[in-house]
Amino acid sequence: MPKAGTEEASDLDPSARGVAKAAPQQPARTRFRRRNRRLKRWFPYLLVAPAVIYLMLITLYPGVFAITQSFYKVKFGPWRPIGFANYARLLGDYQFLGALWNTFLIGSISLALQCVIALTLAFHTYRDPWIRGWRIVFLVPMLFMPSAVAFLYKLAFLDARVFSDILIRLGLIEHNLAIQSSTWLSRAVLILADVWQWTPFLFIIFVAALQGQDEEVEEAARLDGASWFQIFWNISLPMMRPVIVVALTLRAIDITTMFANVFIITKGGPAFGTETISYFIYRTGFRSFDFGYASAASVVMLILTVIVAQTVVKRAFVSARS
Amino acid sequence: MARIELRNIQRKWGEFWGVRDVNLAIEDREFLVLLGPSGCGKTTTMRMIAGLEEPTEGEIVMDGEVVNGVDARDRDVAMVFQGYALYPNMTVYENIRFPLRMRRIPPSEHDARVRRAAEMVELSEFLDRKPAALSGGQRQRAALARAIVREPYVFLMDEPLSNLDAKLRQQMRVQIKYIQRKLQITTVYVTHDQIEAMTLADRIVVMKAGAIQQIGTPDQIYHDPANTFVAGFIGSPPMNLVAGRLEGGTFSAEGIRVDGLPDRLGGDVVIGIRPEDCTVADEGHLSAEVFGLEPTGDVTYLTLRAGDKLIEVKADRSYRVPLGSGATVAFDPARIYLFDAATGERLR
Repeated sequence: MPKAGTEEASDLDPSARGVAKAAPQQPARTRFRRRNRRLKRWFPYLLVAPAVIYLMLITLYPGVFAITQSFYKVKFGPWRPIGFANYARLLGDYQFLGALWNTFLIGSISLALQCVIALTLAFHTYRDPWIRGWRIVFLVPMLFMPSAVAFLYKLAFLDARVFSDILIRLGLIEHNLAIQSSTWLSRAVLILADVWQWTPFLFIIFVAALQGQDEEVEEAARLDGASWFQIFWNISLPMMRPVIVVALTLRAIDITTMFANVFIITKGGPAFGTETISYFIYRTGFRSFDFGYASAASVVMLILTVIVAQTVVKRAFVSARS
Repeated sequence: MARIELRNIQRKWGEFWGVRDVNLAIEDREFLVLLGPSGCGKTTTMRMIAGLEEPTEGEIVMDGEVVNGVDARDRDVAMVFQGYALYPNMTVYENIRFPLRMRRIPPSEHDARVRRAAEMVELSEFLDRKPAALSGGQRQRAALARAIVREPYVFLMDEPLSNLDAKLRQQMRVQIKYIQRKLQITTVYVTHDQIEAMTLADRIVVMKAGAIQQIGTPDQIYHDPANTFVAGFIGSPPMNLVAGRLEGGTFSAEGIRVDGLPDRLGGDVVIGIRPEDCTVADEGHLSAEVFGLEPTGDVTYLTLRAGDKLIEVKADRSYRVPLGSGATVAFDPARIYLFDAATGERLR
């Protein structure tokens, strides 16, 4: 009997009656507060202003500075305007082009490995009752300082030859692996270090995406006769596509600017075989002190990164929507 | 042939009984409805038939073969889910075709079968759409087409109509029954809606708290309920149940007195009387205050308050009376059901 119940309740409830009577006693001036329109409009900008100003100081100013500098010859002394000469020189510089190629090679192999490993791990664990534990375990490599990881890998593969020793003990090889004198082995060490440290990043994102998937859909697919792999391939993967693309783009931007590992483990060697763009820029600017030239290289890299990221993300989202 | 038997099925989660002591034989080509309030174990029972859930104890037998431990994908059952569970990345066509692809049915047959299934549920114009671009009813039909396309051993339907509005639900009821008759496939249908159960079922299984209360045809369930739970669950509005005392063939409770009941029974009982077996009269068994009056057009529902009990009466469509006034109602003594007050079981 809901009707009678509520009626009785409101009759008996003194506070309800009090409110009902108090309302008309209020001065008839206004019940609604009017806010200052101009303040309302500017308030959000006011809130973000400190962050924006800070960001501009640390990114926009150096950015503009670098772009300006790229049109000058700068070697300690006064700046000498040389137009596009720095850019023209870049196009014919085999070391710059080599660095581009190395960055692409190391980056794409590393990214592909990370993606496959992270997807495999995520798909095998996302309905696991111990997933919280798995997440913590897999997260550990990401928590290390990048330079510390780089030193670990340098020790294990180069300086202390732990890896070689293990292979010799196992009887797989007879002599020490000359990693430092092999371009491909050096690249492999860089790739391995990056995969080890950053696969967890993708894993965590992929697990979250898979956990958001409707369980009923999985059950429907099972009843339709799909195996776990078929469910993954036909349903989970297509649905995860936008997430995968965004996560990979973030990683790709990170890998493109890979510096610490190169600087610590290989120093770009042997024979510039592992020199990435970031390392090339560093070497040009802080070893050869050719600041204008280094700035030009940074600008080229920035433009390339933006173009690639934009097209990839745009593509992925359009096709996921249609 | 598709005959399913559940033998002493139990499902426990820790100390909680999801399903207990379910014994049930589902006949070939039968339309069986599992009916009960939420949490009664009906969906769990169905999921155990599907293989999505394993019974803690007991056997599930399909055509004489125990299928416990057989994976869901190998049982050849098709299920329609409450939330439709369509694959959002595929078009309707691909959705319907998916089970054919997964079951390695020769690709040359796919197109014809998909189109036939889509036609059956009147979805032919929407084959190119993705589920997100469909209305609720269309999604429901797409899910239905996906289930019928491979002509499975058994259909399982888990409250497939509960997300639709009333009008659409009625249309889909008719359609589902028609398709089931046409394809002649054994069907298990779970619902909490007794109208769906009454209209669709060959037999209804009423469940409560994991246990079966009664199994029977819709007529048996309606006209011959086994206990107060079944009596109160079936019918809209449900049967009136009034507790009181029966002595020498006379039932008495606050404001109610009924003579002419069997005098071989006695003691504390509950009488049950359906709203349509009550009539508004000048002289009768119950005189009480009018608590509610709901004219629906073809009939008027009258609610009387006797003590703390509300009695529903189906009155003539033109019957009108102000709230708070008095009314007198007569019962048909031959249509009164007697239940044991302590156990709720029917007294015969």
